[in-house]
Amino acid sequence: MLIRLLLAAWLCVIAAPGQAADVQNDQPTAEAAKPGKNAKPKDQSKPKKQKKPKSNVPAPDEPINPEEQIEPTVAEPSGGGWRFSWKQHPSIRYGSVFRLDGQAKFQEDGHSTYEGAVDVPGWELHRNRIGISGYLSKKIEYEIERELTEKELTDKDILAGVTEASHWKDVNVNLTFVKNAQVQIGKFKVPFGLDQLTGVTHNDFIYRSLGASYLAPARDIGAMVHGRFFKRGLNYWAGFFQHDGDNARSKKIQGGDETFAARVTGMPFRKIASGSVAAIEVGSSFAISALSDDSFRPNGLRGRTVVSQDTFAEPVYVKGRRRRWEADADWASGPIAARTEYTWVSDDRLGQGLGDENLPDARARSWYVSGVWVVTAEDKTRPLKAASEFLQGGWGAVEVVARLERLWYDSAGPSTGVAFRNPRAETILPTGDRVVTVGANWILNRFTKLQINVIREHLEDADRNPVTNGGALWSRIVRLQFVL
Amino acid sequence: MLLNRARAFILILALGALLPHAVVSQTPAVDPSDSFFDDTVLHDVRLAINGRDLESLHVNFLSNEYYPVNFAWRDKSMPGVGIRSRGTGSRSGVKPGLRIDFDRYATDQKFLGLKSVIFRNQTQDPSHLRERLAMLFFRRMGLKAERQAHARLFFNNNYAGLYTIVESVDKIFLKKNFGEDTSNLYEFAFDNSVGHVPFIFKYLGSDANLYVPVPFKPETKETDTQPQYIERLIWTIDQAGDAAWRQSIAEYLDLPKFIRHLAIESFLAEEDGITGDYGPNNFYFYRYENKSLFQFIPWDKSNTFWEAPSPNYFILRNVEDGPVDHRNRLVQRALKYPDLWTLFLDTLEECANSASAGATTGANPQPGWLSSEVQREYLQIRDAALADTLIFTNAQFEQAVADIKAFAAGRSDAVKAQVATYRARGPLP
Repeated sequence: MLIRLLLAAWLCVIAAPGQAADVQNDQPTAEAAKPGKNAKPKDQSKPKKQKKPKSNVPAPDEPINPEEQIEPTVAEPSGGGWRFSWKQHPSIRYGSVFRLDGQAKFQEDGHSTYEGAVDVPGWELHRNRIGISGYLSKKIEYEIERELTEKELTDKDILAGVTEASHWKDVNVNLTFVKNAQVQIGKFKVPFGLDQLTGVTHNDFIYRSLGASYLAPARDIGAMVHGRFFKRGLNYWAGFFQHDGDNARSKKIQGGDETFAARVTGMPFRKIASGSVAAIEVGSSFAISALSDDSFRPNGLRGRTVVSQDTFAEPVYVKGRRRRWEADADWASGPIAARTEYTWVSDDRLGQGLGDENLPDARARSWYVSGVWVVTAEDKTRPLKAASEFLQGGWGAVEVVARLERLWYDSAGPSTGVAFRNPRAETILPTGDRVVTVGANWILNRFTKLQINVIREHLEDADRNPVTNGGALWSRIVRLQFVL
Repeated sequence: MLLNRARAFILILALGALLPHAVVSQTPAVDPSDSFFDDTVLHDVRLAINGRDLESLHVNFLSNEYYPVNFAWRDKSMPGVGIRSRGTGSRSGVKPGLRIDFDRYATDQKFLGLKSVIFRNQTQDPSHLRERLAMLFFRRMGLKAERQAHARLFFNNNYAGLYTIVESVDKIFLKKNFGEDTSNLYEFAFDNSVGHVPFIFKYLGSDANLYVPVPFKPETKETDTQPQYIERLIWTIDQAGDAAWRQSIAEYLDLPKFIRHLAIESFLAEEDGITGDYGPNNFYFYRYENKSLFQFIPWDKSNTFWEAPSPNYFILRNVEDGPVDHRNRLVQRALKYPDLWTLFLDTLEECANSASAGATTGANPQPGWLSSEVQREYLQIRDAALADTLIFTNAQFEQAVADIKAFAAGRSDAVKAQVATYRARGPLP
């Protein structure tokens, strides 16, 4: 599979299609929320070292601001009628009233972790997604994406009460009749969390932070209104959803029910400062969900290690409300970027004691700090674009990354007794995972990226440490990403 | 003089060094869990459980989901204990069989030195006695078997029925009974339900995965299951030539000990054991450290005393009769050897004598050991059993006990008569 992907990547490099401009519908993602990375204030201190991509053709996974017209390098055929083009994506169009783009994302991963880890494949096709997106009359945007590698359930799984993971990712329409109050309906990401809302192919790291993976909701079915003001200096999203996202569910965890979520981001220093400070974007999200104990299994959030997926925080029994809050900051200046995020989740435990009494809230928290340095001196964007693509007169772009993070679980309120690990413990024994990730990304061209991460994890509860001597878990991952 | 004093001093020192050693070696090791398996009393065990979990335990009895409880016995209580529904044929939503894991939520947590214990619901035994009687008889005959006692179980102080407390076959059991616990323990867990061909120790091929994890389910060392030893054992049982069979099998099994196990099951009229009606079943299998040698450990004897009140259960059931594809290959080959055949019959006679030990006839006849034990256990559990009508009526309980009593009274003579017949005939053809 790896060889096939590499061959496909080379072919795309050699046969890269036309360099014409293209316009794509807005994406409800963290990077789409920004006022266009190209328009971001730049650090003026070292302008000579910054490189610009030779091509202005967006990468296949690059969100495009529909308000910004990209200068075409090849004249588009004028007039109406059906036509096929391949610029950012292979695309079918009818005049200016209909557009259908084909998309694909492939990620082949190689893993190595501690000896004795169970069910960690050496190599796997981690993501294999295809989809379409486009618009009807430019006021109705649509998107459909499906994961092809989700495993079907066996009869044994069904007997064991295992529920199927959805194969569908983004399936939604976005109505843009009112620019500052667009309406999105369908399945898409609940607006919560900077890292979770960063597209999977844009991430600086192979895996999202633990908080983004286990505390942020991710996708669900719902309706959302969103818009922007002050030239994207202020952005908002607010919506109602059927549940509280795929991350709160698993094969055995039912997850939360009706959810309201809202997110606001902005660049508060843009008007009062210049240079690097003005580039700081801050955001905050809030979500509240109903929690039932309809399932006989615990319905709380769980925590698992990054690569080996060992559960270090088992779900506890919850009922009532789940409240999430998050704050983040994102900064980029020339070839350097940094991010930080703090997430807090609290679950009611009404009637969940052994004597059916109420218990103190179950609580989960996370934070991370990450940094990126583009060694080859391009401006840091997501996705990063190489000034000179590999085998097109250059070596591509290279960036080094590092992240420090922690995810931990306990119960709220004053400790009234001995802490236990059982899912109805009045005082939940604190448990967490401290993770350090360092790595490098090599962007060969706009289709292909090679990532290498080394991860060190330290579980805070030795009893839940899968390494027998209680030591740190070391993992190494390499990912070849190909987007179309 | 000084030299003599010095000699005396050295002698005293030497004796002093030896004395504690001797004293220690003569002191029997005290097992803190002995009191929990004390079968001279009927125990009370109380579990505090969330109401939703209690409902789920009954409704979702087919699930192995664990529920947290507070466990209390006598003056001891332990929070954060995990329980779940268990069993195959005995699974019940009316009266769930329970596995209680003291270390479910804390690896090092033990109750009286136990990591787990089984609460058998006896949904297949209206007398509630078969399992406990059978395991006691195994131990009486010198084989290692789980300790058992009866208990009244309470959920949130409400009576939940009469249960049999069964010692788990785990590392603690292995250490206590075999002096080691670091090698591979398997539970024989083959699907012997209708429509499935039983696994009768017939060689399935050289792929070790044909034997582990089914039917030999690893209970210890789950990531280092060593299935190749099982594959070699099964090959030897089924494929090794007659000339080399005894020598070859000795590497894997202590045949005389196995024959003893077989004979005890036969005496107890075990319908679902090594020569069961559904193929071999109900045993654990342990491989000794750094050896190829395996050990059978009896498990789940709730189908003993079969055909009671009749004491005439055939001692060669599923050995000389029954479907050919249900006959245990190991038994079939072993009982062809005259010495093993004789050992089998001798052990049956030994069982008969042991069961009837103490019996007298005449004006004031006294029952034998087995009959006395049935009566003792019956009196101990009677009130608790009569109060537990979840599965069986009081009439069914009393009738089942009467049947067991009749079996116990006549089994020794019936077995001796069959032994005499087959001793005269000779080994399996």
